[in-house]
Amino acid sequence: MAKVAWNDMTAFARVIVEDYKLFEGLDLVPLETYEGMDTRPAWEFKAPMATGFYKPYILRGSDRVEKITVGELHYMGRARYCALNMTASDAYDLPIYACEFDETAPRVGVTVDLMPVVDMGRHEEYRQKYYRDLAPLWRKYRTIAGFTSEGRCLVQRRYGPWPWARESLSPFSLDGRVEEKEDRAKLMEAVVAYARVWLELLKRAEPMRDEDYRREVLRRKKKLQQYYRDLDPGGEVLKKIFGEGRHRLFVSLVF
Amino acid sequence: MDADMQWTPYLERMKELIDPLRPDPIREWQGTSLASAREFSRGRAQGGFGAWRADKLEKIGIGSFVHAGNRHFAFCAVISGETYDLPLFLSRLEEGPHQVILLVDIIPVVDSLIDENYRKKYIESVQPLWDRFAALPGICPEESDVIRSLTSIVYTAARVPIDNEGMRLAALAPHTEYLKSYLAFLPEAAPVADAAKKQEFSVKRAALRKTLSAHFFKEVLPGPVRESLGNDMIELLNHVCF
Repeated sequence: MAKVAWNDMTAFARVIVEDYKLFEGLDLVPLETYEGMDTRPAWEFKAPMATGFYKPYILRGSDRVEKITVGELHYMGRARYCALNMTASDAYDLPIYACEFDETAPRVGVTVDLMPVVDMGRHEEYRQKYYRDLAPLWRKYRTIAGFTSEGRCLVQRRYGPWPWARESLSPFSLDGRVEEKEDRAKLMEAVVAYARVWLELLKRAEPMRDEDYRREVLRRKKKLQQYYRDLDPGGEVLKKIFGEGRHRLFVSLVF
Repeated sequence: MDADMQWTPYLERMKELIDPLRPDPIREWQGTSLASAREFSRGRAQGGFGAWRADKLEKIGIGSFVHAGNRHFAFCAVISGETYDLPLFLSRLEEGPHQVILLVDIIPVVDSLIDENYRKKYIESVQPLWDRFAALPGICPEESDVIRSLTSIVYTAARVPIDNEGMRLAALAPHTEYLKSYLAFLPEAAPVADAAKKQEFSVKRAALRKTLSAHFFKEVLPGPVRESLGNDMIELLNHVCF
């Protein structure tokens, strides 16, 4: 296992935006208010233990996006908690793109997924509609060392202690702990590849027409958001940094 | 494979667990006689399947066959009665000389992200087994996208390498242990009174059965095995199991 020095850690947002040019061609505009909260304090922050930014956007002239947030929190020169979240607006049943990329010297703890907003056991057609292009990427990237150990593929095991979090994952999630420097770079390729699939799905998305289905989708979507905002262990770190209450803005932008 | 090869005693061990339920045989399902599944020889496949009903359980489908003398397939599915909130039980084993492929799961009949009480009762209670079998050699995600989309958060799947004969029994343990856990739910299970909940169970159960009938055997049986069995026998196995 090779430890990675602070200065050599992944510049998550820069890699996504500048190296991979993920948002090229999209007219992103800052989202100044989210769920009644002024988001600007999160755009760039400096706290006693942390610095960083969580920048939320929407698409100019489009009603399809609730938020696209990219951010990094640098914690005491020891850890970088990075996130990319892309959530469609309530009119659409698109999965939620969620990536958590937590880097420390010994490893990256990573989860990247398109989280379904329906129970896929009940809606088989949802898999066909939204996961066809993701399936080959899952097969490609699940072989990254860290998703496998001693020849065993452990995809979907990192969330072991949190059943609610495992419930949130799709059958195509990438989730594990990755150590080697070159594997960390490969992870970024996966993070971007999954994001490109979501952005393609967004282009083709049609608003939901069936009111019962829409209610079912929103119920699950709100539950997902509630779980991550209330129970994600990362929220405890944010509470410590920003204080109870103020942390709400940050957890809401990240998920 | 050696003609004296001892296959994993899947059927025997699973039946030992089911027999105390005193199940009644189901001879016909939706107008189709299940008799020809009882014992069959199709192409290079020989085996047998049967369906039973028991208290609180609409159907227990179980069976096995050997293909070309070198591949052993075994399955068990348990579908709960309409008025109960019990999950579905699903297990499959595919055995060759050097590897056992397996999947076993307890599948909720609700959206278990939303219904936390259900998740705690039927899914999280099985988590100790999920944790225990995480150490099984060859543990891996279920390969079929369709089947993986139905599975619960506690499914166990593996491709267990057979380094020694003891590994065959190690690969059998998840099936028997999950089935024991499932059967332990039965004594407490009571008919559900809430009409909305009953409707929810019914819709999900029907969706699971539809997907399993359309895809399960096609997904898990290799082409030459499907060819040996023929579409009519595969359809019959769907009737037996789902």
